[in-house]
Amino acid sequence: MGKRTKQALSVGFFRASAFVLHAGTVMFVPFGGAAMSKKMIVLNHIYKSYGDLKVLDDFNLYINENEFITLLGPSGCGKTTCLRLIGGFEAPDSGTIEFDGKIINGLEPNQREINTCFQKYALFPHLDVFGNIAFGLRLKKIPKEEITQRVEEVLRLVKMEGLGSRTVSTLSGGQQQRVAIARAIVNRPKVLLLDEPLGALDLKLRQEMQYELKEMQKELGITFVYVTHDQEEALTMSDTIVIMNEGKILQIGTPEDIYNEPKNRFVANFIGESNLFEGIMHEDYLVEFCGRSFECVDKGFRKDEPVDVVIRPEDFDFVPPSKGKIVGIVDSLLFKGVHYEINVIVDGREYTIHTTKFRDIGVKVGLSVDPDNIHVMKRSGA
Amino acid sequence: MNRLRRYSLPYLVWMGIFILIPTVVLLILAFSDLSLYRPGTFRLSLANFAIFSLPTTQRAIWNSFRFAGIAAAICFIIGYPVAFYLSKLGIRVRKILISLLIVPLWSNMLLRINAWEKIFTANSIVTDVFGLSISLVGTDAAIVLGMVAMYLPFMVFPIFSVLEKMDPKLVEAARDLGANDVQTFFRVVFPLSGGGVISGFVMTFLPALTTFVLPAYLGLGKYTLIGTLIESKFIKEAADSRALSINQGSLISLFLMILSITAFLLVIRVDKEGETLI
Repeated sequence: MGKRTKQALSVGFFRASAFVLHAGTVMFVPFGGAAMSKKMIVLNHIYKSYGDLKVLDDFNLYINENEFITLLGPSGCGKTTCLRLIGGFEAPDSGTIEFDGKIINGLEPNQREINTCFQKYALFPHLDVFGNIAFGLRLKKIPKEEITQRVEEVLRLVKMEGLGSRTVSTLSGGQQQRVAIARAIVNRPKVLLLDEPLGALDLKLRQEMQYELKEMQKELGITFVYVTHDQEEALTMSDTIVIMNEGKILQIGTPEDIYNEPKNRFVANFIGESNLFEGIMHEDYLVEFCGRSFECVDKGFRKDEPVDVVIRPEDFDFVPPSKGKIVGIVDSLLFKGVHYEINVIVDGREYTIHTTKFRDIGVKVGLSVDPDNIHVMKRSGA
Repeated sequence: MNRLRRYSLPYLVWMGIFILIPTVVLLILAFSDLSLYRPGTFRLSLANFAIFSLPTTQRAIWNSFRFAGIAAAICFIIGYPVAFYLSKLGIRVRKILISLLIVPLWSNMLLRINAWEKIFTANSIVTDVFGLSISLVGTDAAIVLGMVAMYLPFMVFPIFSVLEKMDPKLVEAARDLGANDVQTFFRVVFPLSGGGVISGFVMTFLPALTTFVLPAYLGLGKYTLIGTLIESKFIKEAADSRALSINQGSLISLFLMILSITAFLLVIRVDKEGETLI
C-alpha cells in the first residue's frame, strides 16, 4: 500500500477527525476506504518530454477504483499530459501505464475502457444532442431501442430531459458541459477523465456543477480523474488530491491532509491562503519564528533545524494586546461575506487573518495561535 | 461609414458600368428581337427560347455538364486526400506545397492550356525529351484532363481551409468514444468538411461548365460546349445580324448566370462565414 496509507496514518488523522467532529457526522475515514479498494490505474516511472522540456519526470501514481482523484497544479505542471497519457492520446517516452491490472501502453484511445470529458467539450457540431450522446453506443452496434433508452436515462441524470433534438450550438455553456459529461458516461466507462471541465463556466454554475459532478460520481461508481488548477474546486470534490509542479508530485492526500498539513512551502502557498514564516526548530514541540518561541505539536527535526512555518489565516485569534505574544496594528480590513480579511502589521511584517470578529483600522491587537495550528515543514530545498 | 463609402465609389461606379448595365442589356436582348449592331425594330418576345430546342444547343449543354461533372468528380477524388494531407502537415512543408498549387494559377490560363495542348499532341516536345508520344487532343480524355489540371486547386483550397480549422479535439473525442481511424473519418471529419466539399464542387464545376478556350485547344474545336456556343453566337452576329444570333447567345448567357447565382446561394448556405471561398 506504500506511501499514501502511511501518510494518511501519520499526518492526516488528527486534523481529519477534528474536522469530522465539528461537522457533526462521521463522513470521512482517512485510510479505511483506501485499504479495501483495488488499484484501477497505475502509472509506473513515467517519463515524458517535448523536445527539451521535461513534462513528466519519473512520475508514479496509482488511482483506486471508485476514487475521485484530482490532479492539481499550476499550468504547465504536467497534469493535462498525465491525463492524455491515461486516455491514450499521448505515449510516454518510457514507463508503463496499467489499467485494471493490464499494461495498456500499446492500446489506442478507442480500445481503452476510459472516456474523456474535454476541456472545451469538443461536442460534434454536425450532430444534435442525442446524436452526440449516442455516438459511442452506435459505434458499438447496440440495438436502437437500447440506445434510445440509455441516452434518455443519461439525459435525465444530467438534467437535460427533452433536449435531445437540440443542436449543440444553441446550448448554453452549462448545457454543453452536461452533454459532454453525458456523452462520456453513457458508455459506462470504468474511468472518466475530466480536463478542467468547468473552466469555461461562471462561478455560480461552476459551484453547482461541482456538487452535481460529485453526486454523479458517487451514484455511478465510476473512477473520476479530474484535472484542475482551481484549488477550491479540488478541495470541494476530491477524495484524493495530487499536487503537482514541474512534472513531479509534491504531495498526495485527502483534501484535509493537504490543507492542514502541507508538505512544503509550494503546497502551502498553492492551497488556500497562508502566512509563511521562516523559523528554527529548537527542539521537539518548540519552534521559533518572528523572534518568538512557540509551542507546537511537531517533532522529529534536527536540533535547531531551519524550517518553514505555515499558519492559516483562520487559525489566528484576537486577544487583548497585553495577553498576546504577537502584537500589531490593524492595517487594512476587507469584508468578504462570511468573514473579514484583516491585515495586521507586526514588526513591519504583514499577517493575514480571517475572522468573524471586527477590528477597526489602526487598532492595536494581540494575536494568539493554538499550538496545533502551527504547522512546521521541512525547509524547501534544504 | 460615410467617409469610407466615398473611397469605394470608383469601384462601385466601375461595377455599375461594366456589370450592372451589361446585365440589363443582356436581359433586353434575351427577351426581345433587338439587333445590337443595326437597331431597328424592338419587340419583346420569348421566341429566343427556341434555341433550347435545337439539338446542337442540347448537345452543347449536355457536353458541358458531362465534362464539368466528370472533371469536378475527379478533382474531388484526387483533391480531397491532398487537402487532408496538407491540413496535417507542419507549417513549413505546407507552405511549400500550397505555393506549388497556387503559383501556376498566376500564370495565364491560355498559356497553360496551350502547354497541355502541346503535351497531348503526338510527336511533341514530350516525345523529343522523354520518348513518349501522347496523342490525346480532340478526345474526351484531353478535355477532362485539361479541366482537372486547370481547376484542381479550387477543389483543394476550400476543403483544406475547412479541415485546417477543424478542432483536433473533435477527432480525439471520436477516438475516445471508440471510433477507429476509418470510423472517425466517415462519422466526424468528412461530415464536418461538407461545406468545403460543396464549395469545391461549385468552384471547379462552374468554370469548367462555362469554359470555351479549353475545348477549342484541347478538343481541336470538335466539341461544342456552352461557352463555345455563346462565343459562336456572338461572333456570328458581328458578321451577320440575321437569325437573332446575339439574342439567343444572350439567353444562354442568362441561363449560365442563373446557374452561377444558384450555386452561390448554395455555397453561402453551407458556409455562412464564407471561409471556404477564396
